[in-house]
Amino acid sequence: MRDVIVIGAGGGGPVVAKELAAKGLDVLLLEAGPRHAKPREEWSTFEEDANNPLTGYFRLGPTDRSKPAWYREWPQNSFVWQLSGVGGTTQHFYGNYPRAYPGVFKGYEGADRNEYDVEHRFPFSYSEMVPYFEWVEALMPVQTAAMGHKEQLFFKGAETMGLPVQTTKTTHKASYRPQENAILQPGGTAGKTTSSDLLVYPKATGCTFCGYCFQGCMRPKGAPRNQYAKRSTDNSYVPMALTAEVWSRGGKPAELIADAYVTRVHTENRHGVLTASGVTWRDNVTGEEHREDARVVVMSGGCTENPRLWFNSGLPNPNGWVGRGYTDHFFDWMIGSFDDYTGNPKGVGSSARLDYPPYGGLENVGLPPALNAFAGTLSDSGIRGQYKNGRGKTGPWDGPAGRVMGPELKELVAGGIDKLMTVLVITDDDVEAQNRVTPSALPADENGPIPKVTFNHRKRTKRTLRNREFMARKAAELLRGAGARKVYRIDWAPLILHVQSSMRMGSSERNSVLDATGETRAVKRLFVADNSALSNGLGGPNPTLTSQALATRTAENIFQTYFGGDPWVRSEAPVISTDPRISVRLGELGL
Amino acid sequence: MAEPRNLSRRAFLARIGVLGAALGGGGLLARGLLNPASGATNPLLPPAVDLVRPVLAALARDTLNGLTTFALPGPDQYSRTQRATSRTPGALEAGATDFMISALDNFVPFPDALAQPISAALVTGLADSGVSLPGLEVLPAELRSLDQAFTALLQSDEAIPLSFPIAGLLNLMATQVNPAAVNGLHLSPFARLTYAEKARAFELIEKTDSDLVALLDVHFPEPLKASVSGLLKFVGGALIEFATFGAYSEYGVLDRETKTLRKRPVGWTLTGYQPDGPVEGWDDFIGYYQGRQEVRD
Ligand SMILES: Cc1cc2nc3c(=O)[nH]c(=O)nc-3n(C[C@H](O)[C@H](O)[C@H](O)COP(=O)(O)OP(=O)(O)OC[C@H]3O[C@@H](n4cnc5c(N)ncnc54)[C@H](O)[C@@H]3O)c2cc1C
Ligand code: SF4
Repeated sequence: MRDVIVIGAGGGGPVVAKELAAKGLDVLLLEAGPRHAKPREEWSTFEEDANNPLTGYFRLGPTDRSKPAWYREWPQNSFVWQLSGVGGTTQHFYGNYPRAYPGVFKGYEGADRNEYDVEHRFPFSYSEMVPYFEWVEALMPVQTAAMGHKEQLFFKGAETMGLPVQTTKTTHKASYRPQENAILQPGGTAGKTTSSDLLVYPKATGCTFCGYCFQGCMRPKGAPRNQYAKRSTDNSYVPMALTAEVWSRGGKPAELIADAYVTRVHTENRHGVLTASGVTWRDNVTGEEHREDARVVVMSGGCTENPRLWFNSGLPNPNGWVGRGYTDHFFDWMIGSFDDYTGNPKGVGSSARLDYPPYGGLENVGLPPALNAFAGTLSDSGIRGQYKNGRGKTGPWDGPAGRVMGPELKELVAGGIDKLMTVLVITDDDVEAQNRVTPSALPADENGPIPKVTFNHRKRTKRTLRNREFMARKAAELLRGAGARKVYRIDWAPLILHVQSSMRMGSSERNSVLDATGETRAVKRLFVADNSALSNGLGGPNPTLTSQALATRTAENIFQTYFGGDPWVRSEAPVISTDPRISVRLGELGL
Repeated sequence: MAEPRNLSRRAFLARIGVLGAALGGGGLLARGLLNPASGATNPLLPPAVDLVRPVLAALARDTLNGLTTFALPGPDQYSRTQRATSRTPGALEAGATDFMISALDNFVPFPDALAQPISAALVTGLADSGVSLPGLEVLPAELRSLDQAFTALLQSDEAIPLSFPIAGLLNLMATQVNPAAVNGLHLSPFARLTYAEKARAFELIEKTDSDLVALLDVHFPEPLKASVSGLLKFVGGALIEFATFGAYSEYGVLDRETKTLRKRPVGWTLTGYQPDGPVEGWDDFIGYYQGRQEVRD
């Protein structure tokens, strides 16, 4: 019998594992995908090796890459980009750590208070969240992003838009700024040389500007795992969870098992109350099933897999909201082509942003050739110059929206991929019951019936559609201001990278799965701690900081409610995840 | 008005490319090999099945050459046929067709339970869509034997490589767009299309109200039917995106074992990406915007 079993070692699960391991609880962390304990041996810098969604080391599938990836159904032209493996989808993320906009929390009184998704706010206030933001920001640590050429160009464009520069953590109004990101600032030779002899830890510390965030951060070369520049959870929270005894008095290291696919959450009826009692997982390698009991079970499998596990476990869904209310920031993609060097794709993929509450935001994203080509051809508006698929909007960009592909794409990149700047359009999108995860009618895989992710993207709420158009226009304005010769709008089909709120926390029993503590309404001792627990799409900010802050709060609630402990976030200061004690212990463990 | 079964069947096989690939001008099977007499006596046609298998593989490759050059044209014959060429290397030089075949046949975790009925639909489907095909009469008459071999193969429990139904789908659409594509240079109708016609074929696949499943005449029970119909729309987009990804990726020159490149990838040459190969870092750090290295509330 464990104290706590955490299902999934992605963005959220390791937070709960680390916080509760620090308090001395016996924590088992189960991860469906690979461990990736030796990145320098297992990874590379190649897109085909890393990012091929079928065979890459960053995919949704078991460790053995000769086996197929796990198949998921989406009944529209879309792509749900989730990763399995320790670190989950943070393995290939960009570490952008903005806070959620205050307007998405209960009690917000700003002048624009009615302009947000008012039906689906967080059930507590922004000020209650702030200590948790601060805790995660200090622990990661979250810092102001260093600037490369592509950021400089982004700011040049933003400077023409009549907006202020944001110099606070909290976003109060439309503004632009360098990202606050979970990337260690460059130190020593990092960012100053291309000579690989010089880019070795500790001569180089922090981000070396290699540009391979999407292929996994394992730099600077020679650094201990917890001092790699990018603070994906495999480099931050997981190392802390596994070494809790050395940095926390009374801490007990969590046990991590990879290639362990949880297929069932078990419950029992205790005095008429349905209560979680443990899990069954399947070993991807041997196919063996294991069962283990726990006092508390935490679901952290992400927005698509949590509902699946819920359905496959036969858990009750009285208000029908399990899997509903999925938000994805209804992204769009704009490409600017320039006469001069832009610095794309060097450095952290995305170090500059523009926030525009209550509409959404923009950020630059630098991509290498194949991902750039993929991003330019994922569209709901057909092929530019050929067909529009019923859309093909025109506006302050050049020509109709649509795929830039074939000869046009070839010509676009012929000037050099470093003469492009690409901007991600982020929409403040509404929670809608119709966007959801359901069990698929397609054949099950070895872990049971598979999830189906439905996005009715053409029929989203008026506010969502308006916000997307608004932000797309702002993106064009920014690119023109930066001096783009040509601006292309792709009109992305749903590319689902920012996932939120499919098991949402809410104040109303009618449209939420979790109560305000993070516990499920239908099953006691069962908690959800990852992006799916978020109440809404946060107004557009990248979700991981808010998700981890919420998971920290949920860990406190678990400790208080079921283990008789005291909360700590308001009374203690966090140990920083780069702490040398962690590095030393990782070395002893061969990690 | 339904055509007599034999004619409509013949039209269908021509449309998905099988008839032309096997028997048309430049077809892969010498007609004598499919002797109608032996077909009549042996319903399973084992030797002919062995002959049909490589035909289907060649047909799939040809169709996918048509797709990858659509994604990234180059100096090759397929690009010339589509009338969108380029002097610099394209998809074929990048190995993108192999990328697609390897992905479809080995890695797309598409359940057999679905691939099988879709492939079977391509066998039994009549697709009497009312499109009249010119030049059917120049295709040879050994339909029955070919059809039996084809049917035997697809109804056996041999796993069907996914590249085959994908090619069938593209070819079916190709002949919808341009019925004359049943004959001509290349093995497959899709590869015979112009660039604009290929785009038109994708338009049909992507169209939200098109019901490809109906066109294929597949009989899936609900709710599977809705799933398959949605899936085909996803497949339409994914084929373009994935072919483009493959064409610009290191696939053709990557040694997976040693994690090294045999040559500079086409995609890197075309885009000028990292001229000296992979790096540990770049000297691109300028400083902090407005000199601000830290913010607080
Ligand atoms: C390209 C890209 C860039 C991004 N950039 C940013 C960014 O800059 N900033 C930001 O804030 N966010 C970013 N995101 C989003 C970020 O990755 C997510 O917010 C974060 O990973 C979500 O954490 P999660 O725990 O909810 O899910 P995940 O990270 O997906 O983790 C879920 C984990 O659970 C495992 N799992 C699932 N089911 C089971 C099961 N049944 N049994 C065992 N294990 C299971 C999975 O294998 C996975 O490892 C980006 C995403 C993408 C795709
Ligand atoms: S650019 Fe920086 S953060 Fe990204 S992978 Fe390279 S060193 Fe890591």
